[in-house]
Formats: sequence, C-alpha cells, structure tokens
Amino acid sequence: MSEHANLHGDVAEILLTEEEIATKVRELGAQISADYRGRRLTLVSVLKGSLPFMADLMRAIEIPVRIDLMEVSSYGGSSTESSGLVRILKDLSASIADEDVLIVEDIIDTGLTLNYLVRYLRGKAPASLHICTLLDKPARRLVEIPVDYRGFTIPDRFVVGYGLDYGELYRNLRYVGVLKPEVYAEVTGG
Amino acid sequence: MWGARPDGTDADLVSVPFAHASEAEMSRILDFYAVRWEYEPHTFPILWNLDGDVIESFSPDFYLPDLELHLEMTTLRQKLVRKKNRKLRRLRELYPDLNVKLFYARDFRELMLKYGKLALHDGLSGTLGQVASPYAPRDAADTSASPDLAAMTEPTPERPTRRRHGADPRTVQKGSAIHT
Repeated sequence: MSEHANLHGDVAEILLTEEEIATKVRELGAQISADYRGRRLTLVSVLKGSLPFMADLMRAIEIPVRIDLMEVSSYGGSSTESSGLVRILKDLSASIADEDVLIVEDIIDTGLTLNYLVRYLRGKAPASLHICTLLDKPARRLVEIPVDYRGFTIPDRFVVGYGLDYGELYRNLRYVGVLKPEVYAEVTGG
Repeated sequence: MWGARPDGTDADLVSVPFAHASEAEMSRILDFYAVRWEYEPHTFPILWNLDGDVIESFSPDFYLPDLELHLEMTTLRQKLVRKKNRKLRRLRELYPDLNVKLFYARDFRELMLKYGKLALHDGLSGTLGQVASPYAPRDAADTSASPDLAAMTEPTPERPTRRRHGADPRTVQKGSAIHT
C-alpha cells in the first residue's frame, strides 16, 4: 500500500474539515481552562494517534499544564503478537500522584485501550482522572467509559487523518476523512 | 484456543472450544487488553410451549464479568442476522436488565481493519469462519486459502452440549472458567 498511497487522492470523503477541528479544539481548550483553573493539570496523551490533537489542544488551554506521553502496544502489532498481552511501550516520564490528570485521546471506539489505560493510571494515584477525546464512535463501544470532554461524535465508519492512520499512513492529513474502498482492497487483495 | 493470565503466565491455560473463528479472535483481543471473559456461560430461555418447556433459548457468546456485559458476535449472512436480531429483541423484552451487545460483521470488520488484520476478517466471515465440527463434512471449513485462518481452525475438542432446558426458568448457568 505504501508504494501507491496518495495522501489526498485516497480519501473518498472529508468528515471533519481542518476549520471544524480547529474550532472544536479551541472550544475544548477554553472549557478545560475554565474547569481546571487553579489546579495542577497534567495532560497525558497516547501515541501515536493523539499527537496532532495534543499539540493543538495544549496550545488552546490558557492555564499552566504539564504534559506527558504514553504509548501502548496495539493488538495485532507485529512487535507484540508473540506476547498476546498489551504492553506499555512508553511509560509516563514523571509521577502523576496527587495530580489532576486528563487523558487526551484521538478517538474512542471499543474503549478497550482506554479501559486498560484508565486502570493503569488509576494505580498511580492521581488526584483526579478524566478523559478528553476528539472523536467518539459510541456505536462500536464495548467498554462504557465516561467521557468528560468530547469533540465530535462520529458515525460508525473507519476514519483517518489528524493523527489517525490506516497502515501507519494518512496521519498527516489536516482533516478527518474516510478512505476509498479500493485502498483497503489493495491490502486484502480483494 | 486459550485464555491466559493477565501477567502473561500460561499456568492456567484452558482450552475453549469456540464455534467460530471470529469468536476465537475476539477472545484473543479481550485477553490482549486484559478484559476477563467467559465463553457462553449462560443460556437464557426466550420461548416456552404451553407445557412450560423451553423451546427456544439464547446463549450470548461472551460474558465479560467486570463489565457485566454479554457479547454476541455474528459474522453471518443477513438472513441469519435478522433471526438473531429477533432473538435479541425477545431477550431484551424478557430480561430488560441484561446488558447485551450484538457485534455485527461490520463491527468485526472494522476491528480487523483497525488492527491491520482485514485479510484475516475476509477469511473469517460467514460460514467459512465456522470451526470444523467433528460431525461436519471436512470441506465445511476449508482453510486452505488462508494460513491465518488455518491456524485458527486447528482441531478443537468436542463441543459441550448446550443445555436448552433448565430447571431455572430464567437462566441456566453453565460450568465455565473465567479467562483473563
């Protein structure tokens, strides 16, 4: 796929434009700023998909914040298939004990990854733990997790862009879109 | 198929005879994210005859005890999905407090897409994904087209008989281990 991928040409439909995303991120930033004023807030982002959202959101927040990054292995990843268990590939770089923590996610669909992450972070005794996601796909939810800050509720479609990938590509799209069916067919040989 | 401990040890490995390869794949996903599961632990009667005998029941594929969620997977043809939808509606009418989610073929497809296993999904859909039964013709689950699928449909132990008639008019608890 990588040899033939066409960044914009492979996109069948734009679901969220760059402007819509920017507006929503500013709104979320303002809300978070108001809610956490006077508190010690740490934003924890989950690599790699949340990177663009984290970068924009932290700059839309008008109070001092600490940031930290985590990476957890994904099911089906070649580096983890042998273990069969999710692993923390990159842990927090500082303690979050007694800190107010906001997990910054790109998308919540099944909730499996987030459920794991929440359980893991709760074990580090933060003062509070809340969740902010740019995209929410509730139709696919297996694990119900309360979402405190939600950018967009999106339909039940596989989306790419603004950090979200398909086969590690399309993360650098400035918008969120849906790929043409033939892009998937290339992979499956269909 | 196997359930492993969250700490990665395999001391408690338990063989589970899945009916469909997609269920086996789902069990691996749940294991991966350390979500405890049970395979078909409960059977819910949904239809009785005039004598009070259970004539139809529903056994959701998975029960996730920590989430109190029953999960039913279907990668079958639309006609069979309609039948399953009907049973699910009936189940919800009779057991309104039950938390049940139906995982459709498109849900499973997107999950495989997300995890970079779309080719695997195409081999698991519909009847092709049925794990070979010791009573079924061998070509019912021809796995020669997909090495991944072949690996998932390795011979399984004989499937336990489902209890359709329970003394309890509501649920029948089947003996099962919790897998994490």
